[in-house]
Amino acid sequence: MFSKVLVANRGEIAVRILQTLQAMGIATAAVYGDPDANSPHVALADEAHALGGSSADETYLDRRKIIEVAIKCGAEAMHPGYGFLAENPAFSRECAEAGLVFIGPSPETIELLGDKIRSKEAAVHAGVPVVPSSPLWTPGVFQPQALLSEIGFPLLVKAAAGGGGRGMRIVQRPEDLEQALVSASREAASAFGDGRVFLEKYIPAARHVEFQVLADSAGNTVHLLERECSVQRRYQKVIEETPSPALDPDLRDAMGKAAVAMAESAGYTNAGTVEFLVDAQTGEFYFLEMNARIQVEHPITEETLKLDMVEWQVRIAAGEPVTLSQDEVQPSGHALECRIYAEDPYGNFAPATGRLLTWRPPSGMGIRLDSGVAEGLEITAYYDSMLAKLVAWGPDRQAAMGRMSRALESFPVVGVTTNIPFLIRAIANPDFRSGDYDTGFIDKHPELTAPPESAPFSAAAAKIAELFWQSNGNSAARRTAEAPLDVPGPWSGLPKAIFP
Amino acid sequence: MTTRRLQQVHPPAAGTGELSTAPGDELDIEVKSSGSGRWEGNVRLDDSRTAPFLAHRDGQQVHVWIGGESYRFSPAAPAVRARGPGQGASDDIVCPVPGVVIAVHVAENDAVEAGQDLVIIESMKTEQIVRSPRQGTVQRVSVQEGDRVDRGMRLVVLHPLPEESGASLPPEA
Repeated sequence: MFSKVLVANRGEIAVRILQTLQAMGIATAAVYGDPDANSPHVALADEAHALGGSSADETYLDRRKIIEVAIKCGAEAMHPGYGFLAENPAFSRECAEAGLVFIGPSPETIELLGDKIRSKEAAVHAGVPVVPSSPLWTPGVFQPQALLSEIGFPLLVKAAAGGGGRGMRIVQRPEDLEQALVSASREAASAFGDGRVFLEKYIPAARHVEFQVLADSAGNTVHLLERECSVQRRYQKVIEETPSPALDPDLRDAMGKAAVAMAESAGYTNAGTVEFLVDAQTGEFYFLEMNARIQVEHPITEETLKLDMVEWQVRIAAGEPVTLSQDEVQPSGHALECRIYAEDPYGNFAPATGRLLTWRPPSGMGIRLDSGVAEGLEITAYYDSMLAKLVAWGPDRQAAMGRMSRALESFPVVGVTTNIPFLIRAIANPDFRSGDYDTGFIDKHPELTAPPESAPFSAAAAKIAELFWQSNGNSAARRTAEAPLDVPGPWSGLPKAIFP
Repeated sequence: MTTRRLQQVHPPAAGTGELSTAPGDELDIEVKSSGSGRWEGNVRLDDSRTAPFLAHRDGQQVHVWIGGESYRFSPAAPAVRARGPGQGASDDIVCPVPGVVIAVHVAENDAVEAGQDLVIIESMKTEQIVRSPRQGTVQRVSVQEGDRVDRGMRLVVLHPLPEESGASLPPEA
């Protein structure tokens, strides 16, 4: 086993990885950009090294700086987390050249899976169903007929590289196609340095269901069941759950086998995730892509299978075999994850910044919080807006939803606008509760993002604010509040407290 | 008695935005702890329910967390009044989010259409396109590619609309 591992990431995933490394008795090193100097991952690591600079390019994306730190501090392996350099084949290659074990698949596999066209070919080769799509569009040569043969409208324009909705357009009418191709290609070129785009059949009522796989270098590959990720905004996941309400045992079995076939076809090692679209109308499933890294939503799998995904990643990278057999993968209960984003649910989910004046995570039965922030921390615009992930486990879906709602409602965050109010409503939504939802969930329910009604909480908030403002935050002054505030005399109205 | 009433800054107030109190409306508040600009306690909502709350002062803002929502209030004058579309939309186009300018699509004296892309801001890995709220001519571009910008910072200034457009604008200095 490694004696020391460097974690080339930040935020909640850096904390998550450091915790497992420490539990395994491995020494830890962290890196950080200037805005993260006071972040929890820096304090948690045995040693933390400043990368110098603030932007992602100068810090967590700077391969040379990070590898230099790793060599200097005597790390034997590199854990990239997700995002940043996690799926960068050059980084994986450079780590190997520097004598560092990259905790993830080989550079060749990352390269293959990072290219949507080639990864689709690998899926077809493995007998995994794929969404009908066109060959690549050549900029400047516009040939709609050649591209449209079996696709039809509406369709999707997609970038061959990257993800996260960048370089992606839904096109409803033939006359809008050319402009969509041009703008998607331009966006992809600026985001990924690769302007290649293609067309794909658009499945309107689709569910996004992914399968976790584990594979060792000896060729043992198992899947760790599915995660339902259909609640999305801007093609980014917001709520995930396992098991998926959309799968029956036959479909689950077929998709699990397809996921393993895909991983084997790609020569995959370590933990990876095969993403599928499931047509909610027909129940057919299609390969979407395979992510060559730990997934943000891995905790829900950990909760239902009672295992540590990061520990498996480290063991596989150290050459240990996957000792888990497919028959041993038996889930228990139901788990949900809500991503806590610094964003305005009433303002089109625009990112929000500020100082976390209050950050008081909930706890209790079945509740887990993977967090990369702490009270008092400044949330800047330099990096991702995800602050934490709230996970609820219960013996069944109903119980997990109940625990999640309770936890969200008792999670005071002040100073930075978050999507918590949206999450509370989404979990309470009848379509969500029945399990009958797809990727159009948020668009279908504008009430989830409408400003709150005035009664009773906003009226109470306004009165509290007035009293508090007039008292100047002093306890002594609160007794002097006067009539215009319509507050009845004494302050001893309540028989007992809710807070302990 | 102070004359500075608080305004709800966020979330956007549903309905009229007035923080009025209905006659006979009562509110039992128990402050359980206080100090260093904080209150924490319980509110009685009705006969059977109470709810915990938390209030926090930050400079000129009051934050109140209750019912899973964080409200922000400020005694400052009402924020920039949003004028209706079409008629006399603001001349100053301000930044909606903190971030970095990754593209500027207009220059001084350019004619722009309503909805035309002006500036693209990258914030937390997301691109935000700032579009022109109306037709007009660019008077000044206040940012360039690579600039760090904050919410509310001026990005582009349009020439004021002529008087006959119906908007009553103050004369230019």
